[in-house]
Amino acid sequence: MTVASVKIQNLKKVYQGIKGKQVVAVKDVNLTINPGEFVTLLGPSGCGKTTILRMIAGFEIPTAGDIYIGDTRVNSLTPDKRDTAMVFQSYALFPHLNLFDNVAYGLKIKKLPKDVIAQKVKDILAMVGLEGMDTRAPNQLSGGQQQRVALARALVMEPSVLLFDEPLSNLDAKLRIYMRNEIHKIQRKVGITSIYVTHDQSEAMSLSDRIIVMKAGQVEQMGTPHEIYAQPATPFVADFIGMANITPGKVTAVNGDQLAVEFLGITATKKNNGKLKASDPCKIVTRPEGLKLARTGTIPCQVVSSVFMGESQDYVITAQEQKLQVKEYNPITKEVFAAGEKVFLNVDLDSMHLI
Amino acid sequence: MPEKKYSTLSLKWDEMQKILRDPILLATIILVGLSLIIFIVWPLYEVLFQSFINDQSGSITLAYYREALSHSENIQVLFNTIGLGLFVSFFGTLIGFLFAYAEAYLKLPFKKLFNIIAILPIISPPFALAMSFIMLFGQQGFVSKVLLGIKNANVYGFTSLAVVQILTFFPVAYLVLAGLMKQIDPSMEEAARNMGASRWHTFKTVLLPLLTPGIANSFLLLFIQTAADFGNPMVIGGNFNTMAAQVYLQAMGNYNLKEGTALATILLTLSILMFVLQKYWVGNKSYVTLTGKPSRVRELVTDKQTLTIFGVPCFLISLFIIVLYVLIPVGSFVNLWGIDYTFTLRHYVYIWNLGIKPIVDTTVLSLISMPITGVLGMIIAYLIVRKRFVGRGLIEFVSLLSLAIPGTVIGMGYVLAYNQPPLILTGTGTIIVLSFVFRSMPVGIRAGVASLQQIDPAIEEAAQDLGASSFKVFHSVTIPLIKSAFFSGLVYSFVRSMTAVSAVIFLVSASVNLLTVTIMSHVDVGRLGVAAAYSTVLIAIVLIVVGILLFLLNKIGVNISDVQG
Repeated sequence: MTVASVKIQNLKKVYQGIKGKQVVAVKDVNLTINPGEFVTLLGPSGCGKTTILRMIAGFEIPTAGDIYIGDTRVNSLTPDKRDTAMVFQSYALFPHLNLFDNVAYGLKIKKLPKDVIAQKVKDILAMVGLEGMDTRAPNQLSGGQQQRVALARALVMEPSVLLFDEPLSNLDAKLRIYMRNEIHKIQRKVGITSIYVTHDQSEAMSLSDRIIVMKAGQVEQMGTPHEIYAQPATPFVADFIGMANITPGKVTAVNGDQLAVEFLGITATKKNNGKLKASDPCKIVTRPEGLKLARTGTIPCQVVSSVFMGESQDYVITAQEQKLQVKEYNPITKEVFAAGEKVFLNVDLDSMHLI
Repeated sequence: MPEKKYSTLSLKWDEMQKILRDPILLATIILVGLSLIIFIVWPLYEVLFQSFINDQSGSITLAYYREALSHSENIQVLFNTIGLGLFVSFFGTLIGFLFAYAEAYLKLPFKKLFNIIAILPIISPPFALAMSFIMLFGQQGFVSKVLLGIKNANVYGFTSLAVVQILTFFPVAYLVLAGLMKQIDPSMEEAARNMGASRWHTFKTVLLPLLTPGIANSFLLLFIQTAADFGNPMVIGGNFNTMAAQVYLQAMGNYNLKEGTALATILLTLSILMFVLQKYWVGNKSYVTLTGKPSRVRELVTDKQTLTIFGVPCFLISLFIIVLYVLIPVGSFVNLWGIDYTFTLRHYVYIWNLGIKPIVDTTVLSLISMPITGVLGMIIAYLIVRKRFVGRGLIEFVSLLSLAIPGTVIGMGYVLAYNQPPLILTGTGTIIVLSFVFRSMPVGIRAGVASLQQIDPAIEEAAQDLGASSFKVFHSVTIPLIKSAFFSGLVYSFVRSMTAVSAVIFLVSASVNLLTVTIMSHVDVGRLGVAAAYSTVLIAIVLIVVGILLFLLNKIGVNISDVQG
């Protein structure tokens, strides 16, 4: 198995929509995915993430731009000539073939000797935990098992690049978490370059070395899960990944690499990201779990709603005419405030972020 | 930054790359396109061309149309065709609706009969009912002569022809409408009832509007079939002539090929108009398919009064049709119909002594064209559903168009196109096989398209992603997935070829003759017993071959009974 990089340069895809309208699915995207890296394309539906994946696999032809797998430009290669293997959202198992023949399908096309095929299939089925089910038909398998077959069928090809197209979206919540961990384990074990498309942020957070957040055909932000969550580059990213309060603020003073920012009636000091000048308006991102309510504190506020969620007490409050969400974990051990109460809001200044 | 605008052409070119980078696929598309051009478009073009070109001078002329339409007879024939078409389509759709409603909504004990009624016209010669009608109501008819004692009863003409056509074609409307009714989610009707609508009001305000496109659809389908029907007008039309028959009579009977082509062009225009209307106007209007599979089984009506109103006519019509078909084998064992009803095998002996060749020829040629039709049909269905390329719409249109082309028109086209270089095929078995293939292919294509649309395209993509070439994908994944449609296409192709008459009547020769044509000529000279015997043999061959096919398919686990299209 060769571990290859994937390079995408100025990639663009325009579709001919209805009534002559052109739909730009992907706009000038540049990406480099390092060998062995697990990268997730994350974004709402219609953001172009699947289109990029399908262009890498060869199912769609780019309108402009280049795709390299390793050092090879693959634009003109048909999908069967590309060293990629895809795990489909619908699994796309061959319903007329049993489990063994599904997994062996690609190996047979490679014309490998029978005993080699048998051994490889056996090994891979053991890896995904399906040993001894060779003769089952796909429709005799549960959703999770079908998912494993789809994964095994792709892995057994030992491709340079493994592509995942929302592979877990057809599973129920518990199984999804379980399979997520399985995929994570297997990918780390085989060390294959993987590109994973999803709209589920928890999948992206838990699986990826790097997340690429996309919006309307463009890359909104690239970074590790930690960077994306802690330092969202745009309000869109902040809002899409986790819950976020985006509050308007104003830079009051710049002092070297520090700046003072005023919001919700208080002034805080933050590191300057270099772009902001004094008296610039800015946006402050706070996470609900970074805010605390108390009987005493800095910002007076009023509770609008208070909902017990079990693991947390979820509040909506107003402070300085701004609506904010506050999440208090482990509420059973804490004082809970009711809707209508006038309390104080305390901001964890380290967890707030400036855009 | 303003978005760069791409020309439609360059975007289409992008899509074309998918085809161009795949040589096998490209070659297949070109071959399919060429075969459709050579065997459907070209013959039609020849008919058109001949009708507009002066024989001597080679210049463009309308003289043949003027000539054709100057005979008041031909004008009458045109009106006959349209009038008969409207009449038959109206009553055919009405009876079809009655049967479909009974099938989908009523708890009737004899609904199994409906399946038989729907299949009988397909497996028997297209003019079988006309023959039975003559046996019942003709000069020597059992009803007219023996029961009622009418001498010289005249069965030929509009009334008989219309009744025969209604009984032959209404199953088409029945199948279309019953299919739609079964797809309607019963909870919609329950919602209406729940809001206080009576059953009749629900029928009027929910069911009927939902079915309107389907009703229009079956009306047009029936019109196309009636207009194209050749066998029944020839056998029982008498002085009431129709275009499909007139084309043949002019061209082959009066040796006025030019006037024949002019008439053929008029008929073709009429049929294509109806086809386009059906496919592109009515075809897009169905609401029903959107809801997909109904959530539950419909609670059938058991109310006595409703059952009687719908059940009695359905039962009587079914019974009458079955009697008509049974008359054919009965007639083949009777010494002299209308005069001497003693049992005899002499008609079969006659066939044995005189003409077993048409039987063998028909069967062999139908068997040859069967796999060709099946494979070609699936390839075209695959291209239509799965591939995007310039000319795809055209391939779809042309390949389905042959459903609408009256057989006499395409038959004449074949004669004109292939009696001169570069392709001389007149009088050969090849030309008949070709006509069988291109006449019966559309049904296979439609079945293929319907099944492919239900299959996740990702399955084929997965195969390609795993390294399969498009050829490999087609035979290792696509065909196995749509095998029911493939095999039903095979079966249908065989049956339709066995019973075809309108196109091949132009193509038979001294060296190759066909059963249906032979039967018609025997009916024509009044040898009803021999015709009935030939028909019985034909039906028997169809049943035996189809029975063997179904048995074999059952062995390998293919069930073709649930294929749509």
